[in-house]
Amino acid sequence: MRFVDEYRDPELARTLARELAELVEPGSVFHLMEVCGGHTHAIYKHGIMDLLPPEVDLVHGPGCPVCVMPLGRVDDALFLARQPDVLFTTFADMMRVPGSKETLLDARARGADVRMVYSPLDALELARRNPDRQVVFYAIGFETTTPSTAITLLRAQAEGIANFSVFCNHVTIEPPLRAILDAPDVRLDGLVGPGHVSTVIGSDAYRFVAEEYGRPVVVSGFEPLDILQSIHMLVRQLVEGRAEVENQYTRAVSPEGNARALAAIAETMELRESFEWRGLGALPRSGLRLREAFAGFDAELRWELPHADVPDAKACQCGQVLRGALKPWECKVFATACTPERPLGTCMVSSEGACAAAYLYGREHVGVPA
Amino acid sequence: MKCITCGDEAVKGKVVGACGCEAVIAVGAHVELVATDLVDPVEIGDVLLCHAGIAIRKVAP
Repeated sequence: MRFVDEYRDPELARTLARELAELVEPGSVFHLMEVCGGHTHAIYKHGIMDLLPPEVDLVHGPGCPVCVMPLGRVDDALFLARQPDVLFTTFADMMRVPGSKETLLDARARGADVRMVYSPLDALELARRNPDRQVVFYAIGFETTTPSTAITLLRAQAEGIANFSVFCNHVTIEPPLRAILDAPDVRLDGLVGPGHVSTVIGSDAYRFVAEEYGRPVVVSGFEPLDILQSIHMLVRQLVEGRAEVENQYTRAVSPEGNARALAAIAETMELRESFEWRGLGALPRSGLRLREAFAGFDAELRWELPHADVPDAKACQCGQVLRGALKPWECKVFATACTPERPLGTCMVSSEGACAAAYLYGREHVGVPA
Repeated sequence: MKCITCGDEAVKGKVVGACGCEAVIAVGAHVELVATDLVDPVEIGDVLLCHAGIAIRKVAP
């Protein structure tokens, strides 16, 4: 455990917190968005907000891939799962995401063959073992996850596996960041950049934030000291009037990213003209679909999906939470009608969702009974 | 319970076996098979950052 302990040293954390408090000027609040849901989870889990001076306000971002999936796409997944010849595979959290009528878990209880997998390669293995079934993989995620789908598609093509397809919902990080930075109701002074998305796309991918929006970015690791140090680096930039892309997470992120992963994605997928995001609406060139060379593996071409435009439940305010316009506990159904056991919205389903993290670790800060 | 594959947080594991484009990594008390297509050739003892069954980077041990 030595490796982890080094990044969780309480004395170092207290020193960083002290330095941070000395850095800020009383009265001038910096609003910093942690883009990645993994960071949101770590911030609540390790109580990082308690270490920050009141002049640093953390805003939760859209980087939870489960949370940003619109209801219509969830319904499309349910449609696929209900097809009689389909063996539907998905990551675990998507099982509990409510569609307009039910979840994949409900569909399984009614007889649909829905299975949880750890990797799309596991789904491909199921296709090899079940040649008489149509195996569909429900692909979601940002650039951290997309390479796994790309490699799976390349292997499926090389082996000529005809009973495997992908329902592609992969998204990219730049368009939602632009949408949030352009939003009139969200004021942000800087971004804590995603860690493992950046392992794939590289820290240089955020230069547009500094150059076009004049806001600093610090790419951060996931340990408590990583995040504290990243906030410190951001605040230092703001105090000194700089707007640059800095990389705190050098042990896992390079400026250029993983060229092989990016090439595998580019070989198998291309940008859609537009993709619907929960909370952000339709964003141009923000989602991926399979390239024509992989059309035989595209579930959206193999089946005619409903593609219905389904509005969110009226009480659910996930959209505003995802844009950072609302804190999780400010949602009117937080911890009452919407809990991790019975989630109304996606932000309460995924462990990376801001509402689930606030519910699990942060309720004492917001006056909601535990 | 945390679903690591739904999130975008990768996990680190030490290589305990490698062959072709696959490696077995030890993550805490369990082992898993990962594809290594996207990283340089791996050797036993390397530490890999992995997500959804794929190694996305070698990191310092």
